[in-house]
Amino acid sequence: MTRLTHYLTHPWLTIRVQLALGIFFVVAALPKIVDPPSFAHMVYNYRIVPGQFVNLMGLTMPWIELLCGLALILGIWKEAARTIIAAMLVVFIVAISINLARGHAIDCGCFDPNPRPKSRAERVEDMQLVVVRDIGMLLMAGQLWWASRRSAQCAARSAQ
Amino acid sequence: MDLRKHLLEAATLIAAAVLCAVVSNGIASRERKLALVGAYPNALKVPAEAATAPLETTLPSVAPMTATATVALPAPSTAPMTATVATTTAASTAATPPPKSAPAAARPAITTTTAPAPAAADTLKRFQQHPDKAYVEIAYGGAAALHNAGALFLDARRTSAYEQGHIAGARPYSVWEADIDEKVKKLFAERSDPEQQALPIVAYCSGGECEDSHMLAQKLWGIQFNNVYVYKDGYPDWQKRGGAVRTGSTP
Repeated sequence: MTRLTHYLTHPWLTIRVQLALGIFFVVAALPKIVDPPSFAHMVYNYRIVPGQFVNLMGLTMPWIELLCGLALILGIWKEAARTIIAAMLVVFIVAISINLARGHAIDCGCFDPNPRPKSRAERVEDMQLVVVRDIGMLLMAGQLWWASRRSAQCAARSAQ
Repeated sequence: MDLRKHLLEAATLIAAAVLCAVVSNGIASRERKLALVGAYPNALKVPAEAATAPLETTLPSVAPMTATATVALPAPSTAPMTATVATTTAASTAATPPPKSAPAAARPAITTTTAPAPAAADTLKRFQQHPDKAYVEIAYGGAAALHNAGALFLDARRTSAYEQGHIAGARPYSVWEADIDEKVKKLFAERSDPEQQALPIVAYCSGGECEDSHMLAQKLWGIQFNNVYVYKDGYPDWQKRGGAVRTGSTP
């Protein structure tokens, strides 16, 4: 075990990462839960989700975010919550990247389903930042996974 | 065994979230409710990027109204198949107010009010049914003429935006709220007489990239309204040019 691994999987860091990620998701979920039609519009703007599923996704995704965020904050079922969050982040990154690649500038709707009007250039810049931010959060989820795996290994070793 | 537990927990979390979503939608107020199954035929169609045209730049495209042949050329790429028709009518309707509409952006409302207002019947005659296409886009000139002639205006924006201000006489028809289909059906029942069905209806939202009005027009067309217009610059343009507005939840 290198020193770096030790620090990166240290419980002190893990608990903070877990709380931060949980808070991020709860904060992101609340405005969308309050106004589902606006968020459904955001989902529609991505032009990736088939029409029949736009509303269903607009309704359920914020609740998944909220429950997973709460699970991380409270430390209940945190592994499952972390996995779902990681999967969602991958979906977000792919969705934004597809639209960046095809030059379709949209508002991400990540934290605010009623954004102010922006220019195309501003939107593209924001989308790039969102991809970077989401990769950062994915790394946080990765840290949680790594730390839990290591602690499981340690537990198994000490049980022998 | 660990993996199974993990998946079970994840599935439970998702199921709980879906349950919360359905329950909260069930008890949500009319303005915050969504129909569970969406009906958005263009959900996978990526719109052609508008050349980041702010509102003012849409004026010149209306200005060339001399030859119909040239009108097709500057057709904005935003509107899919109706683009050419849209500009043609926009040009022809813009002809009623004084033809020098180019600097109109600088001058507010007076432009249209001073124009010799044609009799309502004449105006309505100019806006004939077009059963082959869902909608025809119009600019301020056309919208103002139709407004003067007493055409029905439908506001496709969210009800909260409607309450903050809307075109006088317009009704709230937010396409993103759950009761939209019900409202459209009601309107159809209200206008069951074929003569009334032929009357023009104008849908608008907030201009720019907003396509809620187009979505509403598609819905109206789907239920056999064949004389629908989309005021493409929408409420901000109307307000800027001093058209009559109202606030509150009633038309």
